[in-house]
Amino acid sequence: MKLVTAIVKPFKLDDVKQTLHDLGVAGMTVSEVQGHGRQRGHTEVYRGAEYVVDFVPKVRLEVVVDDDAAQRVVDAIVDAARTGQIGDGKVWTTAVQDLVRIRTGERGPDAL
Amino acid sequence: MALTPSDELRDARATLLAGGLEPAQLRQGFSDAADGWFTARVGDTNGVAVVAVGGYGRRELTPGSDLDVVLVHDNVASVKEIADGLWYPIWDAGVALDHSVRTVDEAASVAREDLKAMLGLLDARHVAGDPALTTRLREQVLGAWRRDARKRLPELAAAVRERGERNGELAFLLEPDLKECRGGLRDVHAMTAAAAAWVTDAPGERVRTAAATLLDVRVALHQRAQRSGRPSDRLVLQEQAPVAQALGLTDPDLLMREVYEAARTIAFASDLTWRRVEAALRPPRRSRPGLFRSVAPSRRPLADDVVEQDGEVVLARDADPAGDPVLLLRVAAAAAQSDLPIAPHTLDRLAAAPAMPEPWPPSAVDELVSLLGAGSAVVHVVEALDQAGLFSRLFPEWDKVRCKPQRNAVHRFTVDRHLVEAVAEAGSLTRRVSRPDLLLLGALLHDIGKGYPGDHTEAGVEIVPVIGRRLGLAAHDIGVLMALVHHHLLLPDTATRRDIDDPATVALVTSAVRDRATLELLHALTEADALATGPAAWGEWKARLVDALVARAAAALAGEPPPQPERLDERQLALAERGELAIDVEGERVTVVAPDRPGLLWRWAGVLSLHRLAIRSATATSIGATAVTVFEVSPRFGSPPDWSVVRADLRRAYDDALAIADALAERERAYARGTPTVVPARVLWMDDASTSATVLEVRAHDRIGLLYRLTRTLADAGLDVRSARMTTLGAEVVDAFYVADDTGGLVTDPALRARVEEALLAACRTGQ
Repeated sequence: MKLVTAIVKPFKLDDVKQTLHDLGVAGMTVSEVQGHGRQRGHTEVYRGAEYVVDFVPKVRLEVVVDDDAAQRVVDAIVDAARTGQIGDGKVWTTAVQDLVRIRTGERGPDAL
Repeated sequence: MALTPSDELRDARATLLAGGLEPAQLRQGFSDAADGWFTARVGDTNGVAVVAVGGYGRRELTPGSDLDVVLVHDNVASVKEIADGLWYPIWDAGVALDHSVRTVDEAASVAREDLKAMLGLLDARHVAGDPALTTRLREQVLGAWRRDARKRLPELAAAVRERGERNGELAFLLEPDLKECRGGLRDVHAMTAAAAAWVTDAPGERVRTAAATLLDVRVALHQRAQRSGRPSDRLVLQEQAPVAQALGLTDPDLLMREVYEAARTIAFASDLTWRRVEAALRPPRRSRPGLFRSVAPSRRPLADDVVEQDGEVVLARDADPAGDPVLLLRVAAAAAQSDLPIAPHTLDRLAAAPAMPEPWPPSAVDELVSLLGAGSAVVHVVEALDQAGLFSRLFPEWDKVRCKPQRNAVHRFTVDRHLVEAVAEAGSLTRRVSRPDLLLLGALLHDIGKGYPGDHTEAGVEIVPVIGRRLGLAAHDIGVLMALVHHHLLLPDTATRRDIDDPATVALVTSAVRDRATLELLHALTEADALATGPAAWGEWKARLVDALVARAAAALAGEPPPQPERLDERQLALAERGELAIDVEGERVTVVAPDRPGLLWRWAGVLSLHRLAIRSATATSIGATAVTVFEVSPRFGSPPDWSVVRADLRRAYDDALAIADALAERERAYARGTPTVVPARVLWMDDASTSATVLEVRAHDRIGLLYRLTRTLADAGLDVRSARMTTLGAEVVDAFYVADDTGGLVTDPALRARVEEALLAACRTGQ
């Protein structure tokens, strides 16, 4: 099993969600996060005052999927979240050792 | 086979439950059944008494509540057997029991130590056995309660407060606890206890009805729990529909509305009771010998016909509620601005007020804005008006959203309270906008459409112009309000769902909001709305997205043309032609004409303030060598001044023969009021507004002599005020000054700007 984590632009969340649904991914965890990548934030002029935006609002999305689905899910997220502009985000996968559905006690891929 | 005592009790209760009784009959029935059962066991045995306490003492038993009983005895030997003969069958019948066995002295001494035991015993009622014992118990307990009131009532008040904080406010929770929440049944018991100490009046009819409503719901909830498990006083979502049905209501929303209304009535009465208790127990201000020597209450004027007395807002002696439609709003604004409660008898007297003429007089709108701009204090003042039925007189639309539940987890409040909370939040954002009045009105009305069928923003857009015309607002202002209501979800929706770097997204915003002033208002309203919704609706994350979107949209919108001084009419022009010092008064408009010299504005403003005139607006212009200043003023306290004296004072001020600063300082001390929380003032340099002069905008809280102070500060800094436009909106002022430096040039030096800014902010703070 793999944990797929994606950081995407907030307005892309609906597209990504729809794509994952189409792939049959049942559940996901979404959180509001802030951070920066290579771009290191940017400078804005607002109400006459210049201020540095060092952290940019993003959405963090996490799903656990079967090993053989992982690549498809990553590709789908990349497709759905890309605008070609700076700050599109990142996707990465991590190996998951164990998984338990709390309500039933099911383990491993059964708990997906 | 003969029934055991335990079977008897169980059967009696089962019969009642199956009998299809009304909740009130069921409560009575349960108590009667228990009374009968105890009487059958104990009869009129000497030396012992069965005393019902707590809910059983009040005959408020519900299917799930404990049977609270004290077995009082006179040290008789057989008391243990009697007790065993009572408690065991009750336990066997599966009835929850809260019991104790005590002598009268023991019970009274426990009550002196334990507040909860004391509260239970205050409701003591004789059920069976020797009535003389019960009478002695009641006398001792009540005697001790009255004797120790000064010590025990503050304990109870603290307990009420602490419980309310722990359990939240019944009137706003999606799944409230009917007993423990603020506004719940325990608050009613606490009020009754305060009355038992002879410190306050017993809860009135409205509170008793409200308590009965909550009890009825509690009975229905417990009846459901008979089938599904443990009885609880928490009205969880899944129980709301069946409980509503059991009470003959078609819709769970109707049930929650009834519950919320009852809770608000109780919470309001509870606040009042504890305020009264505190006042009654407060040590006398001046300790003079003699018990009944009366101390004259201190009275302090707050507004025309409105005074503070003993920490409450009351009417002045010669106020005339029946002849003064604006008085209600003046009282409300004064209460909110000074963060004081309105005395209950004042609310009663205000009920006699005539209907507000339509359109509202301008002073009424002004007082409304002043009420709405008071920050968090607006919440308790509107609640007080609403409890007295006065707020929906001003806004009949209010009845549609009153106590209306919002069934989603993001919302913390009912619709009406959400609107008031949004107003309170907007009160701290007033410095961000050039029209604080429209921000506050927009916050009050943004969700008013939720009381009507269909999409709430569309419904709101239809209602707002109706209300706007009733208030007599200008057509332009009504348009802005409609835009605010229509688009109040635009910014957060767009910022989180669209690419804010895409010009199309920015165009979407700028096509809906066509000028910067409205954008600025919408931005502030968005924040106030979200903050008033609940903790999940707003945070740094969303704020950043919205800020970024607003910054892009603002850049795409052109700046406003600068506000222009109004044109002078014939009469004023004729006066200016003569070129000598003159004053012309027409209604509330005062025109002062004088040969121009530096520092005229502060002299005039100072003199008018000295004559107890509130300056609502002022514009200054010059025609050749003559300066014309036009003020809109209203007397702060009733009658207008003697204009011949004003004229003489203006002359003396012109000739530097009047010590304005000293006289004003004295006046200020006389009216010093601890204004609660005032949003700090703000100074803005509007560089794109004019090319011939530097425009400076000051946004601040209004006070006696503020305009004098600001203009004096500008003069002292060596700046010449070419023209000015000052507006008072409720309790807030937005003053634009067109200034030039001593050589007549633009004020651009950053160091000078910083000095002026600091001096102006200091001037706004003085006297606070």
